[in-house]
Amino acid sequence: MKSKKLSYLSKRILVAGIVGIALITVLLFCLSAVAIVWDSRFWWCVLGGGIIFTLNLWAAGMWIMKPYQQIEKSTRLFLEGYTANEVSGNGEVYLTPVSRMMEERLQGMLDVSELLRMNKRQAQYLALQNQINPHFLYNTLESIRSEALIAGLTEVSDMTEALASFFRYTISKVENLVSIEEEIQNCETYFKIQKYRFGERVQLDIECDREEREEIYRCRLPKLTMQPILENSIIHGTECKLGAGHLKIHLERTARRLVIRISDDGVGMDEKTLSDMNERLQKSARLMSNQESETKGGIALVNVNNRIHLLFGEEYGLHVFSMPGVGTDVEITLPAITSDREIPNKEALG
Amino acid sequence: MREEMLRMERVTYRNQSVTELDNFSMTILSGEIMGLVPVNNDGLEALFLLLKQNLPLHYGYIYYHEKLVNEWKKTEGGTNRISIIRNESSLAQDLTVVDNVFVLRQGFRKWFMQPEVLKKQLLPFLEDIGMNIRADAYVDELTVFEKFVVELLKAVVAGSRLIVLDSVGTFISDSELIKLHGILRHYAGKGISFLYVSAHFEETRQFCDRIALMENGHIIKYFDSKDKKPDQFFIPCVEDYDRWVRTQLKVQEKKQGKAAFEVRSLYHRNIRNLNLWVNAGECLVLQDMDNCALEDFFFLLEEKKPESGQIIVDGEKLRPGMDRRIAVIQELPAETMIFHNMSYFDNLCFTMDHRFRKIWSSKGMKKSIISEYGQFLGEDVFFKRPEELTVKQKYDLVYTRILLQNPRVVFCIQPFRRAEVSIRSHIWELLERFLKKGITVVILAVNLADSLALADRLIRIKDGTVQEVYDKKDFIKLPVNTPWLYLYKEKYASESGEDKSPDK
Repeated sequence: MKSKKLSYLSKRILVAGIVGIALITVLLFCLSAVAIVWDSRFWWCVLGGGIIFTLNLWAAGMWIMKPYQQIEKSTRLFLEGYTANEVSGNGEVYLTPVSRMMEERLQGMLDVSELLRMNKRQAQYLALQNQINPHFLYNTLESIRSEALIAGLTEVSDMTEALASFFRYTISKVENLVSIEEEIQNCETYFKIQKYRFGERVQLDIECDREEREEIYRCRLPKLTMQPILENSIIHGTECKLGAGHLKIHLERTARRLVIRISDDGVGMDEKTLSDMNERLQKSARLMSNQESETKGGIALVNVNNRIHLLFGEEYGLHVFSMPGVGTDVEITLPAITSDREIPNKEALG
Repeated sequence: MREEMLRMERVTYRNQSVTELDNFSMTILSGEIMGLVPVNNDGLEALFLLLKQNLPLHYGYIYYHEKLVNEWKKTEGGTNRISIIRNESSLAQDLTVVDNVFVLRQGFRKWFMQPEVLKKQLLPFLEDIGMNIRADAYVDELTVFEKFVVELLKAVVAGSRLIVLDSVGTFISDSELIKLHGILRHYAGKGISFLYVSAHFEETRQFCDRIALMENGHIIKYFDSKDKKPDQFFIPCVEDYDRWVRTQLKVQEKKQGKAAFEVRSLYHRNIRNLNLWVNAGECLVLQDMDNCALEDFFFLLEEKKPESGQIIVDGEKLRPGMDRRIAVIQELPAETMIFHNMSYFDNLCFTMDHRFRKIWSSKGMKKSIISEYGQFLGEDVFFKRPEELTVKQKYDLVYTRILLQNPRVVFCIQPFRRAEVSIRSHIWELLERFLKKGITVVILAVNLADSLALADRLIRIKDGTVQEVYDKKDFIKLPVNTPWLYLYKEKYASESGEDKSPDK
């Protein structure tokens, strides 16, 4: 109970003040005693008191000033637009009990609003699902495919099959986490559809260590993490480029992390645009996406980044590397997990 | 499954409200040699600092050896076992190799030293990398490369899993670089990672598994060495260079006439029968292949008479240490050739005393220098203290000082060392000013990077004597790691294709 009370700076200041006043009183008493009695033994008391007083000042600095600076830094970062998870400073010390309640309330509100938005996105999928009725869509696409096969139009039938698979993955599967293998398959399907449009102008390579392939493919990630980025690479990178474009998905696993790099050799972006893009990914998606992303573009990246932050924490997410005329790499960093039970923030799955 | 040796996740580091690293993300895997090419030097020192020390971050996370060592929320402080090797050796010069490697390392707790035991312990390390260095040799007896290897061994013995090599190519020769490559690969095979910092994309491409391009305190792009080589023109650090070298190749003209500087049968310490000459207004690059003769050569110019042989300037013997007919621009002149206890004007004019004796008392002369050179240097710099000058202004000051001295020959020791791209282009312009004025420029280099573009001739010195001489049109025959070789190839290969009888 005592320690809980001392997790407030207001209480700490009170305790430090009382101890300080007590020490000053003792010191004053010793000094008067020295002045009156003039016994050399009292000098040791004065010296000891002085040392204790200095230690008290140092302890107050560590105990009060340091947490205070930390709280101030967190608040300033929050105001600058960094993520709201850390709004409560270092998570252990608060200014006062009221400020603690306020921070918790704020945290709760932000989390609720985020969850609401996640739910909204989920609802959008569901609405789409309800409007279209997937079975009706698949049956229709299957009919088109059959007709095309009968007519000898193999390309049309293949295209229809790819489109059906893509919709099936995007609309039908409601769970949030999928395996890398499923996500890769969806990317390949999407690329197949795009290939009908671009022909030999685009090429896709999927790179991964052969020995680790099976292990990597079992890892879990939020659904539709890779496809929107691949789409971005084709539309913003390769489409605007003269000549053929090469796209690459590179998968790598380390002891704790899974790193997916989606690269294109398209037009790239200048340093300012790159810096702005990474700043938007770094700072709070909650603040930035609401106000700016809809006008500035790159919503796909921000959305994917948001979901990763929400599910796995701040230290994971997206980072963009790019140079004009050379190309763009989007690096996705995720925890290497093979089961949905390993997610730190399960509530965010909705 | 590979281990992450270093991971810097969106690190923003501010020092006195100045953002040094901005959203900096970098991963180095175990056993990986990562190249880092800084387009400008912004944030580079901060990066080195953060690798060594866990300082408070504005934002981001740093993991070393898969362990979170620093994060923005709270900084535990302390240091990381990461070694940084630079040109300025961190070895104790008066101690032996074995003392430096074992005794001076962190965690050495023995009360009594047993030199023989330590020597035996060092031997396998040296054998491992095929180096033959005497364990009881004093550090100041070693060559630059040997010192470098000892520092590397010290880092390995101290248990550093990540070693940073900063601008190695500027202080060790081409042949030593090849040796170094073997050593790095050997340690990389044992799981040690390296961050190889170099201003040259080409150089890093030879050594590294991946290359990161850094600009304004953040990484802008990674290149895989297995990937197709990107078009040179798009790489910001070479774009200006390319343009500049191409221009240089177009305007080249053969400088002929009287020899401004001559060396005849010179012997001194590592120099063995050195003979060379340079014409007035010519730019010569002297490349020391084994990195042992240039130091002696520089010493002869500045301080001492040679053991035998002659150094002749403009037909007369050189008077070492007091001859204003030659000037030496040392390495990193912005740091080494500016005197902070002197005013800007004094810094500018103190080597022109042989031309105008009344320079300090004549106000008219002072005014005319300010009005003449103010256009180039900027009017305001004359009222600034030397420490207030920018790096570019410092370079201007040193080079203009030499211009005012008006020597016959200027010796520049590694003029492009540790200069960022914009400064390197500026140094080119400054050296061009000497050449336009008819002053001979001799660039002393251990590595050809940058210097070659300006050169009319290249002389390679090995074992203290002239090994090879290349005219500009012969630069095409240089080894493959020569910078801008493709440009020479473009020009001279096409010329030789058209012209069946090249001028030899």
